[in-house]
Amino acid sequence: MKYKYYRKFKNFIFALLVVFSALSVIIPLFMILKFVFTQGMNSLSLDFFTKLPKPVGETGGGMKHAILGTIYIVLLGAAMAIPIGVSCGIYLSEFRKSKLAKTLRLCVDLMAGIPSIVIGIFTYLMIVVPLKSFSALAGGIALGIIMLPIIIKTSEEILKLVPAHIREAGLALGLPRWKVILFIILKGEISNLLTGIILSISRASGETAPLLFTAFGNMYLSYELKEPMASLPVQIYTYAISPFKDWQQQAWAGAFVLVTIILTMNLFARFVLSRLNDKKGN
Amino acid sequence: MENGKIILEAKNLEAWFGDFHAVKGISVPYYEKTINAIIGPSGCGKSTYLRCLNRIHEEIEGASVSGEVLLEGKNIYDRNIDVVDVRRQIGMVFQKPNPFPSMSIMDNVTIGLKLQGVSKKSKLFDAAEHCLRKAALWDEVKDKLDNLGTSLSGGQQQRLCIARALAVNPPVLLMDEPTSALDPIATAKIEELMNELKRDYTVIIVTHNMQQAARISDYTSFFIYGNLIEHGLSSEVFTNPKDKQTEDYISGRFG
Amino acid sequence: MSKINSKTQDAILFYILRFIAVVVISILILIIFELVKAALPAINLSGLKFFISRDWNPVEDQFGALPFIFGTLVTSFLAVLFATPVSILIALFITEYLPKKLSKIIAILIEMVAAIPSIVFGLWGIFYLAPFVKETLAPFLKTHLSFIPIFNGPSFGIGILTASIILSIMIVPTISSVCRSIFELIPRQQKEASFALGSTKLEMISISVIKPSISGISSAIILGLGRALGETMAVTMLIGNSPIISSSLFSPAATMASVMANEYTDANSPLHIASLCYIALILFFITFSSNLLAKFIVKKVSRT
Repeated sequence: MKYKYYRKFKNFIFALLVVFSALSVIIPLFMILKFVFTQGMNSLSLDFFTKLPKPVGETGGGMKHAILGTIYIVLLGAAMAIPIGVSCGIYLSEFRKSKLAKTLRLCVDLMAGIPSIVIGIFTYLMIVVPLKSFSALAGGIALGIIMLPIIIKTSEEILKLVPAHIREAGLALGLPRWKVILFIILKGEISNLLTGIILSISRASGETAPLLFTAFGNMYLSYELKEPMASLPVQIYTYAISPFKDWQQQAWAGAFVLVTIILTMNLFARFVLSRLNDKKGN
Repeated sequence: MENGKIILEAKNLEAWFGDFHAVKGISVPYYEKTINAIIGPSGCGKSTYLRCLNRIHEEIEGASVSGEVLLEGKNIYDRNIDVVDVRRQIGMVFQKPNPFPSMSIMDNVTIGLKLQGVSKKSKLFDAAEHCLRKAALWDEVKDKLDNLGTSLSGGQQQRLCIARALAVNPPVLLMDEPTSALDPIATAKIEELMNELKRDYTVIIVTHNMQQAARISDYTSFFIYGNLIEHGLSSEVFTNPKDKQTEDYISGRFG
Repeated sequence: MSKINSKTQDAILFYILRFIAVVVISILILIIFELVKAALPAINLSGLKFFISRDWNPVEDQFGALPFIFGTLVTSFLAVLFATPVSILIALFITEYLPKKLSKIIAILIEMVAAIPSIVFGLWGIFYLAPFVKETLAPFLKTHLSFIPIFNGPSFGIGILTASIILSIMIVPTISSVCRSIFELIPRQQKEASFALGSTKLEMISISVIKPSISGISSAIILGLGRALGETMAVTMLIGNSPIISSSLFSPAATMASVMANEYTDANSPLHIASLCYIALILFFITFSSNLLAKFIVKKVSRT
C-alpha cells in the first residue's frame, strides 16, 4: 500500500522537474529578450540607423555601416551558396544511391559540424592572405561556406518528399528528365526551398567569429568588395568589450536590431511560408 | 465490330523488377479508337505491363524490359528511338489524381506544351480549352482557371489529369486504375467521358473493377501473375469466356 | 534544343550536377589541406608535445595547447552535464505532458533560443550573468559547498562556471530537438501498453519512451557536445581568457575557440600563427570525430 503512494509521489516530483526544466530555459530566453529589448530601445535612435561611428571616445554616432555591411556580406554569401546548395540538393534527391551521392552526404554532414571560427580561419588562409587584405569578399565566402550545408540538407529533404508519381506524370507527358526536375518539381517546391534558404540566411547573419578574420571590420562605410567591411555582429562585439559606456549602449542597440532581424526572418520562414505551402494542397 | 487499323501492338513483352519476372511474354494488338480493358487479380502485373507500353516502367531502379511494342508499326524500344518522343505519343493517367502542386489549373493543362516550346498564349489557351472540354471539365473550371489544380475535388482533379495528358495530343491514352480512388459519382462521370474519348483516342485501361470493364470496353485482356490468359471482344470474354480461369474470375470464384 | 537528343540533354544536366557535387566535396578536402599546411611549422616544431605543454607564451614563442584543450573540454563537458537532463525533460514536457497546441508554442520558443546569435548570449552574459555569478551564485556555492575543491577560489564573475552555464543554455535546443523527434516516433500503443499494466506516467516514460531511445539520446548528446566544442563568441566573452589550468570552477580559463578569436588577428610571429592554426586543426578533428561518432551510433541503431 505504502509503495503505491511512493510511486505517485515520485511521479509528481518528476512532473515538477519537467516543468522546472522547461522554465529554466524559457526564463533565460525571456530575460535575454527583455534585456535586449529594454537596453536596446533605450539606446536606439534614428542616428543609430543613419550615422557612422564617431571617433573613439566621442559619444554619438551609429551603426549604419554595420547594418549595411551585414546585408551586403550575407547576400554575397547567399548568392554563392544558394545555386550550389540547391544543385547539390537536386543531385542528392535524384541519385540517391550513387557513390558520389553518399560521399557528398557525408561531406555535408561533416561540413555542418565544423566550428564557424575554423571556417573563418580557412577563409583567411585562402582569400585574405593572397589578397593581402581583409575583405568583404572573404567574409561573404566564409558565410557562404557556413550556409552551404544547411541549404543542401534542407533542399534534399524537401525534394525527397515529392512523390514518385508526380515525377512519372511529368515524364509521361513526354518531357526530358531535366525539364521535369527543373520546371515541375523544383518550381513546385519553391516556397519550401525558400524556407530553408531564409533559415540559413538568418543563421549566417548572426555569425561573428568567421567575420573576425575575414571581413574584419571597418569604422567607415564601405561598399568595396576587396576592402574590410563592418558587420553588425562584429561591431556589437567590438563595442561590447570596449571600456566606453556609450559604445556599450550602442552594442545593446545593435543586439536589439540583430535579434529582431533574425527572429523576424525565422518566424517569417516558419509561419508565413509554411502556411502558404499548406494552402497549395496535400 | 469490325477490326480497324492496329495502332499499338505488344509483341512478346516481358518485364522484370530485378529478378522478379512480373510480365511474361504478352502479345496483344490494340485497334484504333477502341477502349481496351485489362483485368485480373491484384498484383498480377497489369500495371507493370501498362507502364511498359509508354516506357515508364524502366524508370524504376532495377527494372528491365524485353520484347517489342510497335506504335504505328515502329518499335518504341528500338535503340535509335528517343524515349521522350515515345512518351509524348502515349499519354498516361495515374491511379491517384496527381495535378502538379503549386500550379494553376491552366498551368497544369498547358505545361506539357509549354515545355515543348509552345509559347504563344493564344495557342496555349485554345489547347487548354479544347482539352478541358474533351475531359468534360471546362464548364466547371472556366471561371477559375488560375486557381490551384489541387483545389479541385478528387474527380475533377482526375479529369484535369486527363486534360493534361490530352494536351500533348497522344493517339494512345493509358489509364492505370483511374477511378479506384474516386467516389461512385465521380467514377460514373469518368466512364461517361471515356465513351466520348474513344472517338478520337485509343484507350487502354487497367481496372480491378470487372463491371467497369464490361460496361465501357470494346476489348478485354485477362491477366494472372503476369500471364495473358485471354484476350478478345469484351462482349465475348464476359459472356462466353474461352478459358476456365477467366470464367472462374468473372464469376467471382476468386480474385 | 530539340535537335539535341533528350538523352543528351539529360546527360548534360547531370554532368553539371555531378561537377558541382565534386566541387563541394573538394571544398571540404581543401579545408583540411589548408589547415594542415598552415599548422605544419608548429607541428614540425612541437609535434605531440603541443598537447601536453602548458606554456602559452607568444612573447617568447612558446606554444603549448594544454590550457586551451583543458578549457574546451571542461566547459563543454560541464555544459553537456547541465544541458542533458534539462533537454531530455523539456523534450518529454513537449511530447508527453503538454496538449498539442501548447506543445507547439513551447517547441517554437525553444527553437527561438537556438536562433539567438552567440554574440547576444555573450552580451547578456557580460552584463547580467557574470555579475549574477559573482554576486549571488558563487558566494552561495562557496558558503555551502566549499568543502569540495572545485568550489574554492575567488570569483570574478567570468570564468569556467559562467561560460559553462551559458554554453549549456545554448545547446539545450540542439539536444532537445533531436530527443523530441525520437520521442515523437514512439507508437502510441507502446505507451498504452505500459499504462494498461498500471504504471504511473513517470514509469511509462521510463519504460516506453526513454529505454528504447537510449542510443538516439546518446547521439543527441554527442551532437550537443559537438556544438559546445565549437562555440566561440559567448565563451570568449565569458571565460576570462587566461591560459591557466585550475581546479576551481570560478577560475578564468581559455578555450581553443577563444584563443583563436582573441589572438589570431594580432599574431605576429609565424610560429604564433602556425600554432593557432594547429589549434584550429585540433578543434576541427575533435568536432569531426564527435560528428562521426554520432553518425555511427545512429547507423547502429537503425540496423537493430
